[in-house]
Amino acid sequence: MTSQLLRQVRVLDPESETDRIADVLITDGRIAAIEASLPEPPANADVQDCSGCVLGPGLVDLYSHSGEPGFEDRETLDSLLHAAQAGGFTRLTLLPDTHPAIDTPASVEWLHARLRASPEPLPLLQCWGALTVGVAGQQMVELAELAESGIVGFADGRPLQNSMLLRRLLEYGQILNRPIALWCCDRELAGNGVVREGEESLRLGLPGNPAMAETAPLAALLECVATLGTPVHLMRISTARSVELLRDAKARGLPVTASTTWMHLLLNITAVQSYDPSLHLEPPLGNPADQEALCQAVQEGIIDAIAIDHSPYTYEEKTVAFAESPAGAIGLELALPLLWQQFVVSGQWSALTLWRCLSSQPARCLHQPPARLLPGVLAELTLFDPHQSWTITPQTLHSRSSNTPWLGQPVKGRVIQTWNSRLASHT
Amino acid sequence: MATAPWTRRHILSLADFQPEEYDTVLQTAASFQEVLSRRTKKVPALQGQVVANLFFEPSTRTRSSFELAAKRLSADTLNFAPGTSSLTKGETILDTAKTYLAMGTDIMVVRHREAGVPHAIAEEMDRLQSRVGVFNAGDGQHEHPSQALLDLFTLCTLLDPEKPRLSLLNGKKIAIVGDILHSRVARSNIWSLTASGAEVHLAGPPTLLPKLFADFVQTKSAALNRQLVLHWSLEPALQDADFVMTLRLQKERMTNHLLPSLREYHQRFGLTHERIKLCRPEVKVLHPGPVNRGVEISSELMDDPQISLISQQVTSGIAVRMALLYLMGSGKQKEES
Repeated sequence: MTSQLLRQVRVLDPESETDRIADVLITDGRIAAIEASLPEPPANADVQDCSGCVLGPGLVDLYSHSGEPGFEDRETLDSLLHAAQAGGFTRLTLLPDTHPAIDTPASVEWLHARLRASPEPLPLLQCWGALTVGVAGQQMVELAELAESGIVGFADGRPLQNSMLLRRLLEYGQILNRPIALWCCDRELAGNGVVREGEESLRLGLPGNPAMAETAPLAALLECVATLGTPVHLMRISTARSVELLRDAKARGLPVTASTTWMHLLLNITAVQSYDPSLHLEPPLGNPADQEALCQAVQEGIIDAIAIDHSPYTYEEKTVAFAESPAGAIGLELALPLLWQQFVVSGQWSALTLWRCLSSQPARCLHQPPARLLPGVLAELTLFDPHQSWTITPQTLHSRSSNTPWLGQPVKGRVIQTWNSRLASHT
Repeated sequence: MATAPWTRRHILSLADFQPEEYDTVLQTAASFQEVLSRRTKKVPALQGQVVANLFFEPSTRTRSSFELAAKRLSADTLNFAPGTSSLTKGETILDTAKTYLAMGTDIMVVRHREAGVPHAIAEEMDRLQSRVGVFNAGDGQHEHPSQALLDLFTLCTLLDPEKPRLSLLNGKKIAIVGDILHSRVARSNIWSLTASGAEVHLAGPPTLLPKLFADFVQTKSAALNRQLVLHWSLEPALQDADFVMTLRLQKERMTNHLLPSLREYHQRFGLTHERIKLCRPEVKVLHPGPVNRGVEISSELMDDPQISLISQQVTSGIAVRMALLYLMGSGKQKEES
């Protein structure tokens, strides 16, 4: 029997709205006790003074990209899982746009076999199954068969441009009983835009991608959902107008959940004055009013969850002109500390709001039970020290890629340990 | 002539250029203009320094102008052309810049088809703690500072050949006509001309002149904010204008649904002798080149020496680029001494 006693840790349990200081005893991978004070720990317990640290349910990544299979220079499944663990995630959800794509039961089985070979207790890796063959947006995959193969839900991670196909997927989706995640983006309207259209895009001289490239297909999709009733998750909400559409849809009772990404909450287009290709994202960073609306929507619960959308690219791929660089940035190891500093330390959000949007809410969007902090349950936990300082460098990151605008910068807040429902694992 | 000391290592954008800096460039260019009128047109100002032209986007005019300016200052020049480079062999733009740094380059003149590349190179040079100065010779749709500065010099020397200065344009009405959206020349000119206190009017069809341009110029002090005046037709922009700048229209704009046809564009926004009768009688017309004759400007107007300043712009370009290279290079010498 191995026991660990975390003394005077700040316990966050979003499900019960708990935010208090307590002693937490974890024995053999289970939460044995949560008490204001446990004066007499078991004799063999490893006692840690955790004052100032935060213990919450393990973080849940809603969608991220792997390099493997196909682009192992960017990221392998091992480096991805280590990055996720270092960032406090206990569940990681892969998008299927690998090479080959995760669009058949065989590709899902390959992934599972690949993970069984891994000796370490790492975060749970689950995957979205493709909606269309090769995530090419042309033809449905064998949806019902793929649904049985162990995928968590359906998503291409790319925008569907064929409205008829979208309609049919939503119709057919009614028998699948799996979450369907869609990203609204009209590629024709977006054109060659690489930043959100507005005054700042004109000053930057970078081609603008208009907000309507997101809002027009979003409005159309909400009409489909209203008619067909199929629940959908709306990925990568990035504009103020989208928040309004979402608010309206939820008020009407449509079965939708939504996420934005952590980068869209922390930054807006004015950061692009550096022309750092790590700030080239899809959808692009919003104008200041978009960022403000997204932060407000998270606080109000209009946006349910914060996604990481971890997108690794190599130095060579990203060391090109802003507009020519592939879109995306890494995030698994950075999201919690940077969001905590920006929103919790500043007092803009409560600690519970942030933790909920990174743990229980993404789980709910995946139709999964959220992890809890209750005596007797399996420990799926993240221990976070908001005061520890470190510097973001290729050496301190576990990811194989370091495409982030915060590279080289100091950051405050670090995950100390995660528990993955099975065994304790140290970062 | 006394000028303010030059402190800027890189010239990447005119957005934060100060009035004293414009005046320093204008006065320095005027003295080089005088040098260029001598029998021996060469000065030893940058002797021993290396100016590398890193033109990732093909260019003949601007590159030749920079090269001649550097040679007139006795600098050694290196030319990089993408067609013959190792970019196709997987080298990154920063690798290229580092190679030229290792050769002992003092000033890099950078052009790229995408915005921000000169910034990235300047940042890398600073990170490597080199003293290389980076000049933005045109990046995507972002900026083309030397073009705007030579336009400024052309206009100011016209008004006072002895003492060109920014304030000469205060209150003048200047129209910029054409494809503003895609033009780096227009953006740099908007910064310099609004800084002079000129009344800047932009004209073009809505697809090439989005109304967001009205708020393009923002300063910290609201009192100094100068709204740009936008027109979706040519006539009000030309009315009583002192100067008209017209821009090159890329012919591929039609394929992106931005214009119905070149013919309609010329009918609505092409400059002709007839149209510019609306301007002040002494009006002059500028164009950054190369010109699409019969599209943005009629051949007759372009070739009218009474009105067109196109040749003067090209000539001014040498003196202005000499001034810019000299200021960047002399700043370097001060750091070293």
